[in-house]
Amino acid sequence: MDLHRVRRIADVLVVSQLRSGRSSSNPRSVLGRSLFLAIVDVIVFLVAFAGADFVVRAGGSAIGPVASLVVSFLPFVPLVGVGAVLVAGVMFELTTTQKFSMSDAVNWLPISPAEYVAASSTAIAYAYSPAVVLLLGLTLPFAIGSGAFLVWGLAAFLAGVSLYEGGFLVEMVRAATQRATSVSVGRRGHATLVLRAVLLIVVILALQLAFNPIFLLDVLQGFSALGLVTAVVPFFWGTEAVLVGRTGNVLAAVGFAAGLSLFSALLFGLAVRLRGRYWVVSASEIRLEPIEYAAGHPALRALGLSTAEAALVSKDLRGLVRRRELLPLLVVPVILIVLVLVEGRSIGLVGAIVWAGWVAGFFALLLAATAVGQERRALQTLFAFPLTPRTIFRAKAIAVLVPSLVSALVLGVTVGVLFGLAPAPLAGLVGLTLVAAAVLTLWGLVFAARFSDFQERPRPQYLRPSAMLAAMGSGMVLLFAIIVPGAIAVEAPFFAVAGPALVTALVAAIAGALALHFARTGFDRLFRELPF
Amino acid sequence: MTGTPLVSGPVPATSAPLVLEVDTVSKSYGSVRALVDARFAVARGQIVGLLGPNGAGKSTCMKAVMGLIRPDAGQIRVLGRDLQDDPVAAKRSLGYVPESPSLYEFLTGAEYLDFVADMYGLDAAARQERIPPFLEGLELAGHENALISGYSQGMRQKVALIAALLHRPRLLVLDEPLNGLDPRSARVVKDLLRSLATRDGVGVLFSTHVLEIAQAICDRVVILSHGRVLASDTVDALRARAGLSGSALEDVFLSLTGTGDLGEVVEALSRAG
Repeated sequence: MDLHRVRRIADVLVVSQLRSGRSSSNPRSVLGRSLFLAIVDVIVFLVAFAGADFVVRAGGSAIGPVASLVVSFLPFVPLVGVGAVLVAGVMFELTTTQKFSMSDAVNWLPISPAEYVAASSTAIAYAYSPAVVLLLGLTLPFAIGSGAFLVWGLAAFLAGVSLYEGGFLVEMVRAATQRATSVSVGRRGHATLVLRAVLLIVVILALQLAFNPIFLLDVLQGFSALGLVTAVVPFFWGTEAVLVGRTGNVLAAVGFAAGLSLFSALLFGLAVRLRGRYWVVSASEIRLEPIEYAAGHPALRALGLSTAEAALVSKDLRGLVRRRELLPLLVVPVILIVLVLVEGRSIGLVGAIVWAGWVAGFFALLLAATAVGQERRALQTLFAFPLTPRTIFRAKAIAVLVPSLVSALVLGVTVGVLFGLAPAPLAGLVGLTLVAAAVLTLWGLVFAARFSDFQERPRPQYLRPSAMLAAMGSGMVLLFAIIVPGAIAVEAPFFAVAGPALVTALVAAIAGALALHFARTGFDRLFRELPF
Repeated sequence: MTGTPLVSGPVPATSAPLVLEVDTVSKSYGSVRALVDARFAVARGQIVGLLGPNGAGKSTCMKAVMGLIRPDAGQIRVLGRDLQDDPVAAKRSLGYVPESPSLYEFLTGAEYLDFVADMYGLDAAARQERIPPFLEGLELAGHENALISGYSQGMRQKVALIAALLHRPRLLVLDEPLNGLDPRSARVVKDLLRSLATRDGVGVLFSTHVLEIAQAICDRVVILSHGRVLASDTVDALRARAGLSGSALEDVFLSLTGTGDLGEVVEALSRAG
């Protein structure tokens, strides 16, 4: 393995990540160089250390119990390392486009699988190092004050090993999903989509658990009871090494640390083998059965759409379920509906209605705001067709409304059934979620028509970040203005329904009419001249 | 080189009606003048090659003809109609292959062609009649059910070409249409273009850097440099006017664009290599 080559590839991969989010970044700026992350690491460490040191000095002798609590956290620093890399790395992998995940840019170079895995893992570990560095900076003053500096040093070393361990695991996931893509590429990618959807849901739930204090407390308590079990699970060997190191058992600490290092080496070997085997998507399959070419989409045309409008809507809906980078958008309502089912009753009827309306509207807003940017460079294909801007606007609006209204309907019915609502309030609730989804669809299209981002990036953003913030901020305000009076109306007794319902209707009608006007004029303007 | 044009006018050497008129069109991007008073025309049944060095304004010109960008000045008429007045009607008569076709990669080849057919309102009979022969002829048959994301560059180019021809346009605007095609497919496309022009009277505006291709199939060539039309005529007429009778189009092109003696450049590159 040529270490100089590994370093150069890692450098390029880090720079690629740093610059991918900025369309107009200056390549000479330190913000776009790998040195930037080293500077961030140093600053994060120094600031965290200084802050913790101030607390230690200010606390004097009273800091003892806090210091021992902080030091007792040290065994978990290696776990944070592997967890951060794994969760963030897998999320990154799941949200990048096929084009950028295939590593075609380097596949043609004389690089061995081992060199690529080493470089890519280094880049991943380096990218997520600030999370671990922050913890190390915060804990160091307490460790020094408690005479546990050597334990801290061991935790720091193992955190570094764990970052690589996470990097190797991400490489294995990439190779596995690449394999899944190869298998399913001729079958329109359904298997890949299911695999990615499951992975994404697992990752998001893992994220929720990772930041859930009750769950973490359970884990901490479980560790003392299940010490023997964790000792045989390699992922916990870093934690075990620091735990036994704190008790002064140097031999066991060295044993666990060596075990973790060997386990990481094993993961590296596996990742190299997988990369060597599945480094590129295989050729598509050949089918010889006859194909019927005909104007399709009868269901959409039955809604009154023209052939062209129906084809545009169908194209967008296919993209939504087939494009890997759009999968996170589709998974949002699934996860939020699950959360409504799990926690719905504990937040009360009004809370659940607001939650359902918010989710319905937010999902519609997200889809609509990204609907135009999803075209990316293919926008010029739309330009070349004999279509008016209004045709494209109608098609885009309906392509967003179809999934948005379906999820709004499911949310409304779910909450209604969960709370045993009578038919009239249930209809009111479903109407509320549908109205929220419809108005927010138009609201999102206002921004999509004016501020879409058509750049090809590893992680496409579809809408300029500042516009996304503005869309989300204004959308949230609008949503609550529609939903809160509506929720009150649904729960109110019969004679008190009219007032809040009227407020919801007025806000929705005014905002909807304004959004419709600005979205249509936005499309007229967008389709005057190709924006790139 | 921005000297006096050898020939600069919209009237082609034919009495056939014009399908495209580019009339003193200018376009700037900030301080960069991409097109300056460009004038040329394409007649019915004529293949016109649009040639020029990198950055000469060829793609800008083609985008303007397709209505993808708005000229700052001048007028573009397709089949006698102003493109800006009724772009939708004009686009019904146009077929376009951009320099780098951006296809919807999440569709299969067959789905994409059906989608394009929907855009032009083709009925089922027309699709069934036209799509399979194109797929067979360009050796895409059997691959049409696979996602475009799995296609090679040449296969994508073929899909883009079929999509441009599907609705039987009266003017084809092709930006480097032979990019990535294998020799057989390139030959099929060249012969097809000639046949469409001769038999069906389709006008073709054709951009390429491969001057042998332009020489072989174009009735006229338009040479652009720094956004200006340097010459617009038949290859033979350009040879005569450049005083290079019997020479290849490449020599005429290099002479007109002022590229000069390349010997020193080649020598320097040889030393560097």
